[in-house]
Amino acid sequence: MHARVGESILQLARETGASSLFVVGTGKNVGKTVTMRAIYEACVRDGVAPGLASIGRDGEAVDAGDALPKPRLRLSPGTVIATARDVLPRSPATEVLELPRLQTAAGSLVVARVRASALYELVGPPTASGIRECVAVLLRHAPYAIVDGAIDRIAALAGGGDAIVVACGASAAATPEEAVDDVRALVARLRVPAYEGGEALEIDGALTPSRASELIRAKESRAIVVRDPTQIALTGKAALHALSRLQLRARRPLRVVAVTVSSLGRDGSFEPRAFARSVAEATGLPTFDVYTAERAA
Amino acid sequence: MKAGRLLDASSARALEFAWLRDALAPASSYGDRVFERCEPFLPGEETLAQKRADRIAKIAGTYHAPVLDAAREVFRNVPDAAGAIARASMGDALSDANLLELQRFFDACERIDALFASGGLVAPLAPGAVREGARALELGRAGSFGFYLSDAFDAGLAAARSAHAAAQAEYDAVRGRASAAIANLLGREISGSEFIVMRADLAGPLPPGVRVIREAPTYVLCELDADEATLAALERRDAAANAVAHAEEAVRARLSQVIAERAAALDAACERFGELDVLVAAARFTQAHGAHAPRIVPEPALSFTRGTFVPLAIELAREGRAFTPIDVDLDGVAVLTGPNMGGKSVCLRTCGFVALCAAFGVPVPARESTVGLFQEIAWLGAGSGDEPGGLLSSFAREVVRLRDLLGRVSGPACVLLDEFARTTTPREGRALLVAVIERLQALRARGLAATHLDGVAESAGVRHFAVRGLRGIPERPAASSLAAALEILGASMDYTIVEVADDGRAGADAIALAALLGLDDTLTSAAYAALDGDGRG
Repeated sequence: MHARVGESILQLARETGASSLFVVGTGKNVGKTVTMRAIYEACVRDGVAPGLASIGRDGEAVDAGDALPKPRLRLSPGTVIATARDVLPRSPATEVLELPRLQTAAGSLVVARVRASALYELVGPPTASGIRECVAVLLRHAPYAIVDGAIDRIAALAGGGDAIVVACGASAAATPEEAVDDVRALVARLRVPAYEGGEALEIDGALTPSRASELIRAKESRAIVVRDPTQIALTGKAALHALSRLQLRARRPLRVVAVTVSSLGRDGSFEPRAFARSVAEATGLPTFDVYTAERAA
Repeated sequence: MKAGRLLDASSARALEFAWLRDALAPASSYGDRVFERCEPFLPGEETLAQKRADRIAKIAGTYHAPVLDAAREVFRNVPDAAGAIARASMGDALSDANLLELQRFFDACERIDALFASGGLVAPLAPGAVREGARALELGRAGSFGFYLSDAFDAGLAAARSAHAAAQAEYDAVRGRASAAIANLLGREISGSEFIVMRADLAGPLPPGVRVIREAPTYVLCELDADEATLAALERRDAAANAVAHAEEAVRARLSQVIAERAAALDAACERFGELDVLVAAARFTQAHGAHAPRIVPEPALSFTRGTFVPLAIELAREGRAFTPIDVDLDGVAVLTGPNMGGKSVCLRTCGFVALCAAFGVPVPARESTVGLFQEIAWLGAGSGDEPGGLLSSFAREVVRLRDLLGRVSGPACVLLDEFARTTTPREGRALLVAVIERLQALRARGLAATHLDGVAESAGVRHFAVRGLRGIPERPAASSLAAALEILGASMDYTIVEVADDGRAGADAIALAALLGLDDTLTSAAYAALDGDGRG
């Protein structure tokens, strides 16, 4: 089913009332930046100049890790970006808005407003607290913030009240089944429901694999309550196992609104429609393929 | 702020030097650079130290706390422009972020000048160079915060941007038309440079203008091809973008030249900005802790009235208790005796803290004070925070530190001995302490030796001070609570320091204190009985 992917996701995100949206992925090169770009372009078409940031590095011509081409970010005038001072192009000149005392891997952070259309690279703070501060700065200058996240910086989602889009793809798994399992686990973990009372065991800090395994062995039947889903330090099959055996609940739940799929891998690819359908079935969330411009469910 | 040779690590810990450093810390990176260089004044630099302490006290007395806090806020938020000035002075064309740093610095100088306009104590930070720099950058002011290399800087820049905007629009139109045509033919949106077309959706060949970059059994990965018209529009856009880049760099070079020509004066302004930040931090310390400028004299001296050891006063205030200010007047090394928890160590710390503040030319937390500058302020004995263990016993560690101190002191020193030699036999400990005091007297040191040993002052021939101590034997708290016991103790203890003629009454404050802290009655009664048998007075 063909869809205007960016517009559709933006609509789902807006329904949550959140003023920021994080795109997180199951791994590298799973289409986070392509997803972000589609949502960004939908914002621009809607007349909204959003703020953009990245946990790590996005929009560069080639992957700093493997030197393969990366999707680029051509941004329109009015867009506010948070990026490293050393990667902000000298031309066209941007309106430099703020110089927060935050560091990135490529130097100190700068917040600037795009004044002329050009390609931009986003390099953001690597820490969860840094990215939260960065989003707060963006929202002083833009009505909406979109953040290109990273799987290993999921802690940045804590306490933010953001809408979340999960990206998955062929680059992060050897088979479609593995990719589907990974995204099912990540989504299930991020969508742990809110604690609504009753007998509970509060977990102070992270729920680690060893603690979860202990609780499963003890056949713990009370609700296991974490501060928020980022405190569940379990991935893949371990996460699915724990979620099926324990009643995990969160004091502050997160709002996952959609999943995007990228069937194009660095070394191979999946059949797009079948992959998207499986992901939709596994996650129960609206699932979009940015490359085919289709909604699977 | 460095202690240098004024304090060794143990003495710094005992006198809470880190606390003082934090309390005096400036708010800006300009101030940090000045603060980093702050070292204690040495004997012979009394005039400089006095001048600094007087200036800080005057600032504290002239400007109310809200003014100083507003200045601190300006200092805290200003970005560091020193790097930009240095780069410009070396011929670099500054980045727009650098130009924003400079603009914010110029703005901050003006705000600080406005805050200190009255009073006549602070020379303006924004004379010629700062004002000229601010004027040069003014056209770049964008909104409340930002800087933008605006068209107003240069007519050529405006023209180049206009041409670029037209070229971009032409390219977008050409590209957009091609993209829209293909999207229409495929019946879907095209977002980004690459897109997938499912073979099942294709009734025939791909539309013209679509290039296949990967084929799979069920789909093809495509991208939009650029035709000649698109390529020509792209070429024109890139040429226009290059022209904008050149025009922008020309403006940056011109602005950077303005900064470079005034680099020396701007560096000096940064330095004055940092110095004022440091002075304002010290002035806030002065206001917050009721400090006053000491009289700094060229001879060894340490006397003050209503002195406070501020770190402890703050801790007590948090618990709703008050620090009892103390008076001290030392003309040499004196002995201090008194009961446990009577404040002997606090008295020593107050002496050290007052001497420490004066050494940095900072008003001291005392009403009136006369202080000399010391080559070293040394703390020996209990409370030095030395790590236990190692090859040396605690007695041996004290002796080694004393040996080192005596070996290096060649000028006036302030020495604070807290129950020195308490871990050896009382007979030998007393003899050793008397000898140490005599040596320190010979060295013209100032200081106090707090001790529980009898007869030290008399044997050493020095003045003897004592904490007045408990006003009778306090009642135990109803419930077994340490907080309640401390409350009762605080109310029962007279912390006043008085000069005494002899070792005073042979009391039993320690046993009363042990009882108050919850030691059982049988044990404390036995202790009193043993004391009576020993000739309790």
